[in-house]
Parts: sequence; C-alpha cells; structure tokens
Amino acid sequence: MNKLFILRFLKFTLILSLLFPLLSAQEDLHNVWAIKDCKIITQVGPPIEKGVIVIKDGLIENVGVNISIPREAEIVDGSKLTVYPGFIDILSKSLLKFPQEKVEERREVAGEPTEKERGITPEIKAYDYADLSKSSIEKFHNSGFTVVNLIPEKGILTGVSSTFSLIDSGKEQAFIQVDPFLGIRFSPARRGYPNSLMGVFAFLRQTFSDTFYYSMIKERWRKEMLGIKREAYNPRLEILNSYIVEKKPVVFLCRNQHDILRAIKLGEEFRLNYFICDLGSEAFRVLNEIKNSHARLILTAGFKAPVTSIYSRLGKEEKERAEKEIYPKNPANVASAGIPFAFSSFETDEPSKFLEGIRKAVENGLSEDIALKALTINPANFLNLSKALGTIEVGKIANLVLVEGNIFSKDSKIRYVFVDGKRFEIKEKKVEEGKTPQVNVSGKWEISLESPMGSMHFTLELSQEGSSLSGKFISQFGTTEFTGGKVSGNEIFFTMSINFGGESLDLTFSAVVEGETMRGNVQGQMGSMEFTGKRIP
Amino acid sequence: MSRGRWALWNLQEKEFLKEEKMRVKILILLIFSLSIFSYSEEILLLKNANIITVTGKDLEKGDILIKNGKIFEIGKGIQPLKGAKVIDLNGKWVMPGIIDSHSHIAVEGGVNETGNLISAEVDVEDVLNPEDISIFYALTGGVTTIHTMHGSANPIGGKGIVLKLRWGKSAKEMIFKGAPKTIKWALGENPKQSNFSIAGPPRYPTSRMGVEESIRKVFEEAKDYMRKWDEYNRKLKEWKERKSKGMEPIPPKKDYRLEAIADVLRGKLWIRCHAYQAQEMLSIMKLCHEYGVRLVCFEHGLEGYKITKELVKYNVAVSTFADFWAYKWEAFNTMPYSAAMMAKNGVLVAMSSDDSERMRRLFSEAAKAVRFGGLSELEALKMITINPAKILGVEKWVGTIEVGKDADLAIFNKHPLDPYTICEMTIIDGEIYFDRAKYLEDMKKKKEEKEKKNRKA
Repeated sequence: MNKLFILRFLKFTLILSLLFPLLSAQEDLHNVWAIKDCKIITQVGPPIEKGVIVIKDGLIENVGVNISIPREAEIVDGSKLTVYPGFIDILSKSLLKFPQEKVEERREVAGEPTEKERGITPEIKAYDYADLSKSSIEKFHNSGFTVVNLIPEKGILTGVSSTFSLIDSGKEQAFIQVDPFLGIRFSPARRGYPNSLMGVFAFLRQTFSDTFYYSMIKERWRKEMLGIKREAYNPRLEILNSYIVEKKPVVFLCRNQHDILRAIKLGEEFRLNYFICDLGSEAFRVLNEIKNSHARLILTAGFKAPVTSIYSRLGKEEKERAEKEIYPKNPANVASAGIPFAFSSFETDEPSKFLEGIRKAVENGLSEDIALKALTINPANFLNLSKALGTIEVGKIANLVLVEGNIFSKDSKIRYVFVDGKRFEIKEKKVEEGKTPQVNVSGKWEISLESPMGSMHFTLELSQEGSSLSGKFISQFGTTEFTGGKVSGNEIFFTMSINFGGESLDLTFSAVVEGETMRGNVQGQMGSMEFTGKRIP
Repeated sequence: MSRGRWALWNLQEKEFLKEEKMRVKILILLIFSLSIFSYSEEILLLKNANIITVTGKDLEKGDILIKNGKIFEIGKGIQPLKGAKVIDLNGKWVMPGIIDSHSHIAVEGGVNETGNLISAEVDVEDVLNPEDISIFYALTGGVTTIHTMHGSANPIGGKGIVLKLRWGKSAKEMIFKGAPKTIKWALGENPKQSNFSIAGPPRYPTSRMGVEESIRKVFEEAKDYMRKWDEYNRKLKEWKERKSKGMEPIPPKKDYRLEAIADVLRGKLWIRCHAYQAQEMLSIMKLCHEYGVRLVCFEHGLEGYKITKELVKYNVAVSTFADFWAYKWEAFNTMPYSAAMMAKNGVLVAMSSDDSERMRRLFSEAAKAVRFGGLSELEALKMITINPAKILGVEKWVGTIEVGKDADLAIFNKHPLDPYTICEMTIIDGEIYFDRAKYLEDMKKKKEEKEKKNRKA
C-alpha cells in the first residue's frame, strides 16, 4: 500500500513537473526599462509632466525630465499614461490559504477545547500560508496593487503578518518582511475560555500582564541568577514578548466604534504600539478619542453598517440609507480631523471592490491626494518600509502603476503595473458574451489524464449555475476548490491553483462536453495534456 | 402558568406585537433625531406638578427648580430665574427617576463568560453598548438609572456597573460616577447547569454543595494571593529602606481573577447574589459572615419571605419580581405577596426587571405590591426608587426628590401606580431624554414626510 502510494506520488510529481515552466527566462531578459513621456505622481513633489522613469534590476534608477535612456532599456510609451507609486494593501487576508478543516456542528463536543478553538494562535505565520499564485496576484495587479501585508484574521490572537511583493516568482523572492504585525480581534471562542466578549478583554489583560511578567523574570534571571527561580520556556510568550514588551506593532481588528474605544483602552493601558483597523467604518464617531490616543489608523472601504449600529436596528431601509450616505463619508471625516491613515482591503477582499470602495470614498469627499497617500506613503510608513516603498524616487523598489486617466475615476484604465521592476501587462477584461450553456455539467466526473507515464485518475465535482461554474478537484493528495469557471455552449472552462510541494501551480482546464462524457486539455504554465472525463452516476 | 394560560398570553402578545409593530417602527425612526435635539438648559423650572418625593412629604401643585442638573428648590410658586426654561406640568405627576437594580441591557457579546467556573476578572464595563435600543425603551418607562451585570452561569461571575441612561452619549458618559462596582454571584440551578448546558466539556459543580464549595475555594486562593502580595510589599519596603542593598524582591504574578476576589474580600466589590431558595440563601449568608464580607443583595430571592429575620440580621436586601415565578423548579415556592411580606418585615426590597421589556413598566410592577401585599403607595414606590438606590450605593445622589440630589425625574399623566398611567417625560441631570409629546409630533412629521416621498415616487 505504502509502495503504491509512493509510486503514485512520484508519477504525479513527474506529470506535474511537465506542466511547470522550465525557466522563467523571458521575464529576466528585460531588467532595464524606461517609461517615456509619462505624467509622474512621485508623491515627493509636484507631478512631473512628460517625464521618464528608468528601472534597473528591480529598483528605480532615475526619474525626471531630459534623462538619458540606457541603450539596453526596453521602452514603454507613456504618452497617454499617468504613473503612480505602486499601491500597498497594508492589511489583507485574501491571499492566505489555510488547509480546510471540519467545523464541528455540535457545540457540546467532549474534551477540552483546543487552543485553536479558543482562538489563541499567535504562532500562525502568514508567511507559511501565503498563496502567491499567478491567478491570485493578477487580481491585485488589475487594481494597481503591488505589495500586500497578509495577516491571519481568525481568533483572538490571530497570528503574525508577512509583507510580500506581488510577483509570481516564488514566496522567497516576493518576501519583503516577516512578522511586522500581530493581529488581535475581539472574537470570543467557540468553546472554552473566553467565550464572551467581556471575557476576551479579561483574557487579553491577563495575557499582556503575563507577557510582561515572563519578560521581567527572564531578564532578571539572566542578569542575577542567584536566588531567582527561572521561568519555564514558553514559545507563545516569546512571540508575544516582541509585540507587547518590545513594542512591535499590534493591530486591533475593530468591528465597530465601541471596539475602537476598547482597543484604545487596552492600547493605552499596556502602552502598546498599536494600530486600529476600522472594519466597521465607524472611526468618524470617535475621532476625538482616536486623536487623543497613540493609535494609528487603518480604514477599510466596505462601508457596511455594523450590527451594533443604531442604523442596523432601525430596519433595512435605514441601514441601506446609512450605508449609502453616512458610512462612505468615514474616510473623508477622518481626513478632515487630520488623522493620517492607510487603506486595507479587509471588508472588501476582492481588489476590484477595494478600489471601487476607495473611489466611493473619494466621491464622498475624500481628497484624491489623501486617498493616494493612504495607498502609498502612509502604508509604507506604517510598515516601516518608507525607505523602500511609497513614492517614486531613485533607489526605491520599482513598484509602479501605469494608468490611462485618473486612477480615482471609474473610466480610467490600468495598463501596466511594475512590481520589483518586473512588468505586468493588464489584460482588458474580455467582455465577450459566452454562448448560452447547452449542457448541465453539475455532478461528479471521473477524469483520466493521459500522460507519457500512463493515465492518472481524479474526481471532479462540478456545480453549474447558468453559465458560471465552480467545483472541487479531488485527487489522492487533497482537494482543491475553484470558482469563476464558465460554461459556453457545450464547452467548459475553469482555472484553479493547486498547492504542490509548497509551490502554487495554476492549471487551466477546457473541455467539450458530449452527453455523459467530456474531452479536453489541461494547461500548465509550460505545456498541456489531454484528458477525458466520464460522469459518475 | 398553565399551558393554556401560556398560549393565551402568547396569542395576546402576538396580536399586541402586530399592532405595535408599525408604531414601534416609526417610533424607532425618530430616536436619533430625538437624541440630537434633546436640549440641555442650565436652569429648568417644572411648575404645577403633583410631586411624589418618596421621602413621605408629597406636594400638590408644586414646583421644582433645577439648576446645573441638580434639584435646587422644591416648593410652591417658585419664580423662574432669568434664562430658565419653564414647563407647566398642569397637574401631572412627578416622581424620582425609576431605578432598575437588576438588568443585562447595553451589554455586547454575551452576558455570561462560561469558559471558567469563576470569572470574576471579566467586566461588563469593557463591553457596554450605548447604542442598545433597550436604553431608549427604558427611558419611555421613566427609568433613569440601571444596574447592568454578568449573567448567572457561574458561582462567581463578572463585574457589573451602574449606568445613567444618557441616551445618545458614549458608554463612558453613561457610567454613574461614584457608584460602587458590583460582582455577580449565582447559586442553584444556573451555575450547576440544570436547565441548559454550555459549550465544552461537562463542568463542575453539579450540586448546590459544589457551588458553595467553589466560592469557598476561590476565597481561600484569594486570601493566599493577598498574603503573597502583602509579603512582597513588606519585603520591597524593607529593601528600599536599606537603600537597595541586597536582591530586589521578586513580585508575585498578577492574577486578575484573584485580584477581583481580593476586592470582594476587601469589600470594594458589592456582592449581588442570584438565588431562589431559602436554604441556599441562609447557607451563603453564613459563608459571607464567616469571611467577614457583606452580601449586599439577593437577586430574585423568591423564597426570601421565608427567611426575613435572617435577611434583616445579615443586612441583605432582595431584588425581586412582583409576580413572575414557577418558570423552573427552584422558582416554584413563592407568591405575589412575597415582596410585600419581606418589606413589611424590614427587608430592603427592590422590584427589578431582569429584562428589557419589563424594565419599561416597573411602575406597574410596584403597583402589584399594593394590590397583593397591601403595601402603602409610598412603600411600593420606594421599591423602584430609593430602595434600589440604596442597594446600588447611590442613594446620596438619586432615589428621592430632595434639594441637592440629581434632577432625575419621571413625569406621568396619572399617578404612577394607576393602571392607566403613561410616562410622559424622563429627565436625567436636568436634561430631557424623553418627551412623549415632542416625540409623537416628530413621529407624525416623519410619517408625513415619508408619505410625501412615496407619493412623489
């Protein structure tokens, strides 16, 4: 049995390796770029009209007018383009992929609750779960984002974040910094202590206090030893120590205005270096308290009234009115109080919706200048990366957004993004109307993949709604879910990224369906293979 | 209540809800505008009112002058000071703002921390929700001060807090300054989980004996904790006196839970103990006596009428219901005469709500003590004013209409114990937080506006 499994795994590995690019040579050819005749919003001075940006080895080599362009440079005609510093999403959860787990439906499960059930997981590192596959980072590029700071969001001590450049050449290359923030959310445990909101605060106080005590005893033992009983090693408190005692930043994920006040209370009580992420868009209700605190502010652009809000209690009509008229004014209100902030994609998740939300904030009185700062300089400062990111200056990382028109207008078109000096062309969305679906492929299919090593078998679980397709790809190595597929006539298309040996691999399937069978091919980054499918009755 | 009566009650409730639904909806629509438009004059003169002071000296056709949120003068024919806002009450009834000594409103994210048997470290103050609509409902029934607290799932639960219902203000601004903080205890069926089960593995205790033992145990732990800190402080003092020679003593680890229990032992946290049955009340009073701590009040205490002598002896109050019982086994042995019987025997009794709906009609709960137990109107009204004020330790500021006290008033169209009475206005610190006439007018306007808008559309 074991032998068989190993053999199968080897076979699987070999087949998949065929789908991998052998070399990503073509991108490396152009490491010198020159963007000519463009308008440059440098964020360090007035905009430069008809300027040039030279990029070399991933950094900005030169910026200005009348600059000599190196001979080897690949030229980008920027005559119709405005260049902004690449956008930074200071807090994001959408590129994190955690292994699926069964959620116990019954609340009265026997046995002690696990730490995970209690939400005490500061040891979860975003780095380990980041999914920087091509298809997922493309969505960010499409909205002008070049850097994300990913943070686990579940539980009370949610985990630590990691900052990545949005390039597709592997996590190690994309990595910018590890563990800049610790996430904290006031979210009671499903089982065990603390399972009430007030319990969460008591728990956090005790934990912070314990961290200080642990640190104090450790320090004194190191210095004196004589007469002091040493503390047991505690990996969790070691992690917390850098944030609570040594003052690396923590981020409080706040659902409403009351959470913001609670975060400020805790932050000041323990003198933390802390951020408030305003998930409920209610910072405008407590501007003075924020101003008088040491909190730094991260706003979101979902603009949904929190459940605690009086507007939510007034019925659907009032809630919708508030979400249209009151909540989108939150960033403008915060800005006029003179509080600097950065924007996070929490509450919007999809980068396109995120950008849409920021545009909505601009429509509701937020100045374009401050909106841009909230996507560039401010997050760079907050992440302690302002020497490398946030503006268009010589020596900084060549992260740029090239836009036709004003980025805050709906009609603008993002043409390219540069990430680490690598160009990504933004494909215009195909608006082609698919043919009306003539088949219904919902159900289970057995897929046989023809390969030089013989055939492999997988199960495909499809669910079709109109012309949209989603489903699961099940092999002996795990299950991968996908959405966003299409059915057109009797053809189906879908793309998924599967995790393979720590790397993400994008696979695009297309097939023609005939009755209870299908025939098609699967395309990897380099090469394709044929497959056939049979419906499992 | 028999099954039939339950059904009937449910049916009536449903019909009532149907009728009320529309009205309540429009009512709610106005809440915000109301809170924005509520005015705050420095000087307010209420004229020609029937004043029930709850001190025993009532005044017919009298005036109350309010200055800077306090009652400045009570009498007849008071001349308005310059700049005063004058309201002619024209024979309406004024009583002290109603006080609810047992509730769980304005709390976000659960009222029970069941993750631990003893959860003294949790604090309702951390999770107040000043936007809770129940606050407004309470105002419509003349309530001005409430005590909101942890639930009864644990022998020792969390800390509670006294609030003034300053609707529209922040949580911090609602906190009753100077009111002692409380701690919720619970005996009987709830902490031993007889009628429900919490998430997680089965929990000790499952008997009344176990409940009491768990309190005794944590008392001992806290005493030990206090001893450790005392010893540390003594050593630290010595070390400082010797001018830092030798090793600086190492402090014990701070434990928020034991810290709270220590505050109970020091008398800083006032004990509010949920209990139904006479024997467990007797037993816990003895335990508190043994540890030298004062048990301030039994919550519900439905069998309190059986042990009035002991309640008086140990100086324990009861915060109870008028005619709400038999909803579980331990709540069977009582009757609507219980509150009056306790009061007549010298026990300090308050009528409390435990519920956001009952909260807005506490005056009719007080009236029941007249109807069933034959209490005087004064004694009945005390149960929703000065008595709960004493239980909460705020009688210096509220609970009666007296010169110098906070101007927290409830104004009714009829005597507050009249079955047909309606609360017309609620005032806190001289500020009007609820004005029914203005409110109905605004509601009408809003409705008209809406209809206009609909017609246009």
